[in-house]
Amino acid sequence: MDLADRIETFRETLDEWLRGLYHGMITHPSYEKIEKEAEDAEDAFILACFPDAFGIPSPVSYYTAELLPYLEDEFESWERRLWDRGTYLERKGQQYHF
Amino acid sequence: MEPFVFFGGKGGVGKTTVSCAYALRCARDGERTLVVSTDPAHSVTDVFDQQFDDSPQPVGGVDGLDAMEIDPEDEVTRHLDEIRQDLSEQVSASMVNEINRQLEMAHGTPGAYESALFDRFVDVMRNSDPYDRVVFDTSPTGSTLRLLGLPDLLEGWIDRLMHKRRTSIDLFEKAAVGNNEPRRVMEGDPVLARLQGRKEFFEFAGSALHDDAAFFLVLNPDELSLNETERAIANLQEKDLAVRGLVANKLTPSPDPDEDGRGARYLRERVETETERLETIRSEFEPPLVAEIGWRSSEVKGDLLADVADELDIETTAEPPTHV
Repeated sequence: MDLADRIETFRETLDEWLRGLYHGMITHPSYEKIEKEAEDAEDAFILACFPDAFGIPSPVSYYTAELLPYLEDEFESWERRLWDRGTYLERKGQQYHF
Repeated sequence: MEPFVFFGGKGGVGKTTVSCAYALRCARDGERTLVVSTDPAHSVTDVFDQQFDDSPQPVGGVDGLDAMEIDPEDEVTRHLDEIRQDLSEQVSASMVNEINRQLEMAHGTPGAYESALFDRFVDVMRNSDPYDRVVFDTSPTGSTLRLLGLPDLLEGWIDRLMHKRRTSIDLFEKAAVGNNEPRRVMEGDPVLARLQGRKEFFEFAGSALHDDAAFFLVLNPDELSLNETERAIANLQEKDLAVRGLVANKLTPSPDPDEDGRGARYLRERVETETERLETIRSEFEPPLVAEIGWRSSEVKGDLLADVADELDIETTAEPPTHV
């Protein structure tokens, strides 16, 4: 293996490491953060649509019920997230990796 | 005058009689007329001695007059069935039960009847092409007033919902960095499309009620009815819907002057207090008194209905609706 090849291999490894580091430190956390935020916003939307699930009668749930057939995924993950969530703080805390 | 005419008032004052009489008058004046009862205690059937359901049917013996009765319970069931149909097409079997529970809950809420009724009558206004005039015989004041207040309230609500949905989709799109597929996309989102459709529906309802509808309140010459009418006028004005006129129904007939029995004295006293009350209405209430209808000794139907129709001083020529 001559020098040129060794430099090439080294560069490749370095490139992979840097890419991994960038993904791990920058891209993924920010992706996660935005997605969590999006989920929170979606939770708020579904809660606004179906407050009667918590015993709060809503004048619009008759109309928002029409959305239910199109909210299958959202509804399922909404329920799951609500079961998982201990406190709101905990959910927010999950977004930071110390 | 506006193509849609609403008659409202306290329970038992004779809204159905007055609206049927008015519809009859419109039909006789050559306007193709539909009378719609939104009162679950259906009495249009009794007035015309004919069975009606929730699709317009011609009234026997009167040219150009159709009638229909809306049953909120049927409407709620129909709405529920429609969604269930969608549900079975869209949703996997395991989720159907879960969602069904939510669905039934939504249709058991206190507002469901009102929403169903509202949906239906807006639908009637939207598809009023074959008619020049649609007369609505509404349920007693309270619930009707809430019904008419719905569009504004709901439009705002839907707006906020759409905003929330957009925010979350936007974030999902942003979360998809690089070549990731976003979990939700704004383009062609069925939920937003549905909400938009609803919004347009409420907008139509709001503008139709505002520009194409005239409101009349029926009242009896007694204290309770007067008070309720006063509140109803204020309420409607608050919603920017003006009451065009008041119809005084069930007025006591005065006895002949030479009679002086117990019955005659009773009637004379009643007529006196009623005259006072009518005077109050004329001087203190803003909308004009457009009809004074005497108390009939028998049920108002057939020829009697025609008599009542003659006593109504309400214009019958209908203008075409501005929003369709």
